[in-house]
Amino acid sequence: MSEHVAPLIVVLPLATAYSILLFCPKYWRYAQRASLICTGLLVVLTCILAMQVNVRGSVIYHFGNWSPPWGIEFLIDRISAFFLVMVSAISFVVILFANGLLYKEIKERVLGQYYALFLILLASLLGIASSNDLFNVFVFLEISSVSAAALVAVNGNKLALEASVKYLVLSTLGSGSLLLAIANIYMVTGYLNLTFIAEALPQAYALYPLNVLATLGLFVVGLTVKSALYPMHIWLPDAHGSAPTSSSAVLSALVVKVYIIVFLKLIFRVFTLEFVSQVPLQFVLLLMSALAILLGSLLAIRQTDIKKMLAYSTVAQIGYIFMGVGLLTYNGLLGAVLHILNHAIMKAMLFLSAGLLIKLTGKRDIRSLAGVGRIYPLPMIAFSLGSLAMVGIPPLNGFISKWYLSLGALEAGLPIYVLVILVSSFLNGLYYLPIVISAFFGQSTEPTYKPLPIPIGASIALICLCIATIFFGLFSGIPTQYLDPALENWFQL
Amino acid sequence: MRDLIIRVISRFMIPFIQVYGAYIVLYGHLSPGGGFAGGTVIASSIILYILAYGLLSEEKRIPEHFTRVVESAGALFYVFVGLLGVLLGTRFLGNSVAGFPLGIPGRLSSGGTIFLLTFAIGMKVASTMITLFSHLIDEEREEG
Amino acid sequence: MFDFVRLADNAFYGMAIILFLTGFWIMLSHANLIKKIIGMNIMESAIFLFFVAIGYIKGGSAPILGREGVTYINPLPSALILTGIVVSVSVTAFALALVVKLYQHYGTVNVDEITQIRRGEA
Repeated sequence: MSEHVAPLIVVLPLATAYSILLFCPKYWRYAQRASLICTGLLVVLTCILAMQVNVRGSVIYHFGNWSPPWGIEFLIDRISAFFLVMVSAISFVVILFANGLLYKEIKERVLGQYYALFLILLASLLGIASSNDLFNVFVFLEISSVSAAALVAVNGNKLALEASVKYLVLSTLGSGSLLLAIANIYMVTGYLNLTFIAEALPQAYALYPLNVLATLGLFVVGLTVKSALYPMHIWLPDAHGSAPTSSSAVLSALVVKVYIIVFLKLIFRVFTLEFVSQVPLQFVLLLMSALAILLGSLLAIRQTDIKKMLAYSTVAQIGYIFMGVGLLTYNGLLGAVLHILNHAIMKAMLFLSAGLLIKLTGKRDIRSLAGVGRIYPLPMIAFSLGSLAMVGIPPLNGFISKWYLSLGALEAGLPIYVLVILVSSFLNGLYYLPIVISAFFGQSTEPTYKPLPIPIGASIALICLCIATIFFGLFSGIPTQYLDPALENWFQL
Repeated sequence: MRDLIIRVISRFMIPFIQVYGAYIVLYGHLSPGGGFAGGTVIASSIILYILAYGLLSEEKRIPEHFTRVVESAGALFYVFVGLLGVLLGTRFLGNSVAGFPLGIPGRLSSGGTIFLLTFAIGMKVASTMITLFSHLIDEEREEG
Repeated sequence: MFDFVRLADNAFYGMAIILFLTGFWIMLSHANLIKKIIGMNIMESAIFLFFVAIGYIKGGSAPILGREGVTYINPLPSALILTGIVVSVSVTAFALALVVKLYQHYGTVNVDEITQIRRGEA
C-alpha cells in the first residue's frame, strides 16, 4: 500500500473538495471539519513520503502502469518531498486558523465553496511539486493560478476583484510563455518527461541551439511572472493585500514558492549547471533579485496598510530566494531552499496575526496599532516574532537562511550581494520594528476596552507557527541534512 | 429573441445536437472526440435552448443544484475509477493491467476503463458549461 | 536568395508568431477589459496553433486503427492542446465573470476609468 502514497496526496484533497461540493456546500461546518481532517491526513502522508525518500531514494510512480515516456510519472526527490511536507503542514495550520475566523470574513453562502477551492489549490500545489511530466506540471500550474485568483476574489469587494483580474491576466501571460517553452522543448527533444528531456537536451542543443536558448528564456519569463520577481511583481501587492486572511497567508507562503520549485527542477535537473553557467542567466537573475530585495523593501516602508506592507515584503523575500538560486553555488542554493521554508513559516505567521488583529480591532492602518500589544498579547507576540525573524535576529529561522545566502555570495565571489542582504535587513527593521515597538510601548489613542475573545483554533495555529520559527532557527541542521544529498548531486560535489 | 423561426428550428435541432454529443462522448475511445468535446456539444444544446426561448422562470430551468451534483459526481466518479486500479492491485488509473477486459478493438465495449473515464469527463464538462453560462446570464440579469 | 519554399513549409509557425504578437498587443494596449480578455484568447490560440503544428505532417491523417498504409500525424500535441483549450476556456469564463462583477461595482469595463473612479473615492 505504501507505494500508492504518491498519487494519494493529490487525489485525497481533490476527492475531499468534490465531496464537499457534492454533499455539503451549504453546511460549512462539515466542510470545515472535512478539510481539517484532509489536511491533517496530508501531513501524515507527506511525512511518510519524505521518510520513504530518505530511506530508499526518489519515489517514482507511474500512473496506470504506463512507463515513461508514454505515461505520466510522479518523481519525488528530496527537494519535492521537503516542499510537500511544508505545503501540507502550513495549509493544515492555515485551515486550523481559518476555522475560528473565516466565517466572519466571508459570506456564509460561499464558505463551503471556499474550502473546496482551498483544497483544489492544495492538490495542484502538491501535484506541481511531485509531477515529472512537463505538460502535467503545466496543467497543475493553471489549476493553481485559477484557484488562487478565485481565492483572492472570493469576498467580492471591489479591490479584491480588480486585483484578481490583474492577477489572472498576468498569470495567463506567464502560462502562455510557459506553454510556448514546453512546445519548443517538445519540438527539439520529443519528450515531455523531465528525465528524458535532460538526457536528450545536449544533443538537441548541438542541433538547434536557438530553440533551446529560447526555451530557457521563456521558462525564466513565465516562472518569474508567476512567482512575482521584481519587474513582474505588480500583481502581487494588490492580490495578496486585498484577499481574505487565510488566502493571503497561503498565497504568500506557498503559491509563489511552488513556481520556484519548478524553476529549480528545470535549471538544475534538466538544463544542468554546466549549461546554465554558459548563458548569462546568472547575471539576469542576480540583477532582478537585487532590485527586488531593495525596491520591495523600500516600497514596503511607504505602505500604511498592514497587509499591503506584508505583501511588498513578500516581493523582497522572493528576491532573496531567486538570489540564492542565481548565485549558482551550493550554499546559495541551500539558503534559497531554506528560505522557501523559513519565509513560508514567517509570512504565514505575519499574515495570520495581522489578519487576526485587523478583525479584532477593525483597523488596517499601521499607525492605529499603537498599544494593541497590551490588549491582544498573543497575536502581537506572533507578529513581533515574525518581524524579528524577517530582520534576521540570530536564534530565529530568518537568520539561518540569510547566513547561507551570504555564504553562497562569498563562495560565488560576489561579496556585493552580502551588502545587499545587510542593507535589506536594515530596511526590514525599518518597517517592521516601529510597529512592534509602538504596539507594546506606544500609547493607545482610544480609551481601554474589554478585549474580544480570540478563537481557540487561531491561537493554536499562531502558537504552532511561533514554535516552528524558533525550532528551525535552533535546529536548522534537520532540513539542511535532509536536503544535502540532493544538492550535492546537483553540484556534483 | 422571441423569433418564431429560431424557436421552431432550435426545437427541432436540440434533440439531434444532444444525440450527437452523446455519440461523441460514448465513442471517445474509438474515434476523435471524447469527454470534453462531447460534453461541450451537449451543453451547447441547453445553451441554445436558453438563447432561443429566453430565460425561463426558476422552476422551468435546469435547477442549479442538479448541475452542481452532476458536476461533482462526475469528478468523484473519475477518482473512483482511478482508485479501482489501486484496489485491483496495480497503479492509480490502471486499465488492462488491473484486469479490466479490453474487448474487441473497434467495439463500443473495448478500451477497459477509458469508456467510464470519458463518460465521467462528459458529465463534468456538460454540467460545468451549463453552470458557467447560466451564472454569467444571471449576473447580467441581476444588474440589468 | 531568400528561401520562399522553406518559409511556405513553415507557414504555421509564422502565423502563430503573427497571432501571438497581435494578441499580446491587444492585451497590453487596450484599456477595455473585455478586449484584454479577447487578446488573451488570441494569444493562447497562437500557442495552440504552434503546438499542434509540431505534430502535423502534410497529408497525414488521424491515427485510427484499420486504415493501413496512411501516414499518421503525431496525436500527442493535439491531445495535449485539447487540455490546453479546456484550461483556456475555464480561465476565460472566470475572467469574464470577474469583469461582470467589476462592471456592477464601477459601471465601466475600462481600466483607466476604474482607476480614475478609485482615485476620486480615495
